[in-house]
Amino acid sequence: MNKIIASLKNNRTYLISLALSIFVALFIGGMLMLVTGFNPFEGYAAMIKGAFGSIRVFGNTITKMLTLCLTGLAMTVSAKAGLFNVGGEGQLFLGGLAATVTGIYLQGVSPLIAVPLAFISAAVVGGFYAWIPAVLKVKLKVSEVITTIMLNSVAIYVCTYLINSGGPLATQDYGVLGGSDAVPVAFRFSQIIPTSNLSTALFYSGFIAFFCWYLMQKTSIGLEMKVTGENERFSFFAGLPKDKIMIWSMVASGVICGLAGMFLVYGYQFRFQGSISNEFYYDGMLLAMIMNYNPIGIILMSSFFAIIDIGASAMEFSTGISGEISDIIFAIIIFLMAAQKGITKYITDRSTQKKAREKIRREGQ
Amino acid sequence: MEHLLDVFNIGLLQNTLRTATPVILAAMGGLMTEHAGIMNIGMDGMILIGAFVAVAFSFTCSSAAMGVLVAVLCGILIGLFFALFVVKLRSDEFIIGMALNTFAGGLTVYLLRTIFGVKGTFSNTGIIGLPTLHFDFLDSIPVIGPLLNDNSIFIYLTWLLVFLAWVFLYKTPYGFWLRAAGEHPESLETAGISPHKMKFAASILCGIFCGFAGAHLSLGYLTMFTEGMSSSRGFIAFACVIFGMANPPKVFVAALLFGFLDALGLRLQSVGVPSDLTATVPYITTILMLTYVVVSTERKKKRKAQKQLEINKST
Repeated sequence: MNKIIASLKNNRTYLISLALSIFVALFIGGMLMLVTGFNPFEGYAAMIKGAFGSIRVFGNTITKMLTLCLTGLAMTVSAKAGLFNVGGEGQLFLGGLAATVTGIYLQGVSPLIAVPLAFISAAVVGGFYAWIPAVLKVKLKVSEVITTIMLNSVAIYVCTYLINSGGPLATQDYGVLGGSDAVPVAFRFSQIIPTSNLSTALFYSGFIAFFCWYLMQKTSIGLEMKVTGENERFSFFAGLPKDKIMIWSMVASGVICGLAGMFLVYGYQFRFQGSISNEFYYDGMLLAMIMNYNPIGIILMSSFFAIIDIGASAMEFSTGISGEISDIIFAIIIFLMAAQKGITKYITDRSTQKKAREKIRREGQ
Repeated sequence: MEHLLDVFNIGLLQNTLRTATPVILAAMGGLMTEHAGIMNIGMDGMILIGAFVAVAFSFTCSSAAMGVLVAVLCGILIGLFFALFVVKLRSDEFIIGMALNTFAGGLTVYLLRTIFGVKGTFSNTGIIGLPTLHFDFLDSIPVIGPLLNDNSIFIYLTWLLVFLAWVFLYKTPYGFWLRAAGEHPESLETAGISPHKMKFAASILCGIFCGFAGAHLSLGYLTMFTEGMSSSRGFIAFACVIFGMANPPKVFVAALLFGFLDALGLRLQSVGVPSDLTATVPYITTILMLTYVVVSTERKKKRKAQKQLEINKST
């Protein structure tokens, strides 16, 4: 506890700027609502109600938060070793698809066998999809940023092809446009809050997060990762297997994304659809980056974005304000937090200049 | 053989020109920022906003020129905004770029739903598209005639802009300063020119080009606006800049190649290949081409170094 308080004190400027950015973003969002003819107070009230109004929607908010935390964690794992995994979206899609296919094909098999196999397939596929850009980067020096972005589009198009009507995995179920068959009921995660999206994926996610934290903070592997990420040359001269470390942390990042995709399907969507993720990975990635990959920061920020996101879709339903406002608020917070150092430096520079000028004036008198 | 003719015909080349043009325009903007030493990953968002604004103003003012003009003005604003954050406030350009993409996606959809009250696609006969040009003297020439005739005016403008970009970068002092701002800002500073100003200029130029790209996408290539219609073209333009080594003619060729593959994908649909699969072709090719370029430049470097070593040994 004392540790947390101490870290809060150390990061005072950061926390103040975070609060200010959130305020400014909400203010701009409110202005936008006002300009387009809506009442911002009504809008935000509907948003809060949409995120906390009942235990059911609260469960949905927590679920969204988990997804953001997992994707943020995936970004953290790769970034600590010095690689930018921008391709989590594709890994998430393919991981979810692999788990769904495993579930469908193993229908009738005991869940004790089928569910672990689904876990493995999601992890392997997600990890493999991250392995490709990692090897290209480490062995051939091809920028992983571009390759991962390109691989995202490839994965999403392939998934869309497979599940769209006429595709090999398209369902025959009535009323489903573009989706795979549903995962057998026996394999689905049981719900913690009935009728909400919150399922036992909560515990699995918690386990993954704890495992990663332990690995990075308490083992030599974590230290080697950090050394490689901070200074690749030093890592090389210290005799660390830097290529291996970089590739494996990227693969770990892909594994987490793949599992996040599986949790989306097995947790509450139950079938693979093109709408499984709407750039969830980009959101998680960006918030991890602005929180400097700090675990507590990521959890806090994920909660905030989950509230905005889940609240915004409820707001759209009740007030007619387009839910996309959540993206706008989100982006403004990212802009301001990314510029946080620059802005605080600008302000402190201004104030020191002012003080110096006053001092000169006083001494002159 | 019949299928082959279905795929490879004059329409393929026409489509190549049409699909490549937005990418070429965006890539010309991207190479400006690339030369100025800014990694601009936010071009996709810039294109998207340009496309939306062009359609919105073409519709409300019933004039395509108005749409293009406002799209370019918006481009200037976004360029300024980008430079303010990246250059002045020294934020991480990757974060700002990605956030710009999210912002553009959210803003365009929000405005589309609130102002025009539609979800998904906004198409209306009130949207005035860009005019096409017709040259009579080209009619008599086979192949080239139909290829170069009746294109949207922006296709011709793009060729001009590629040439101008090359002249600007390599034949004028401004271009020289711009390149110096990225390569060696200290020496530019010593020469009495602010690298910050050059970076601002590059960013604004990028905004203008992306505004053009967006306007062409929504008024020239199609006459409508669709949510997320930039569909990663900004990223592909970024990749084109990298493997064209930020040299306008080379980037132009790279973007044309992309356009060819995209058009080939569209054509293959007519032979029964699913459209979602053909859509992956440009992305996969980008990865392969990028890998090839990086590997071959590395190899060249090594060869040069080895030669130098041999020369050193012999002397």
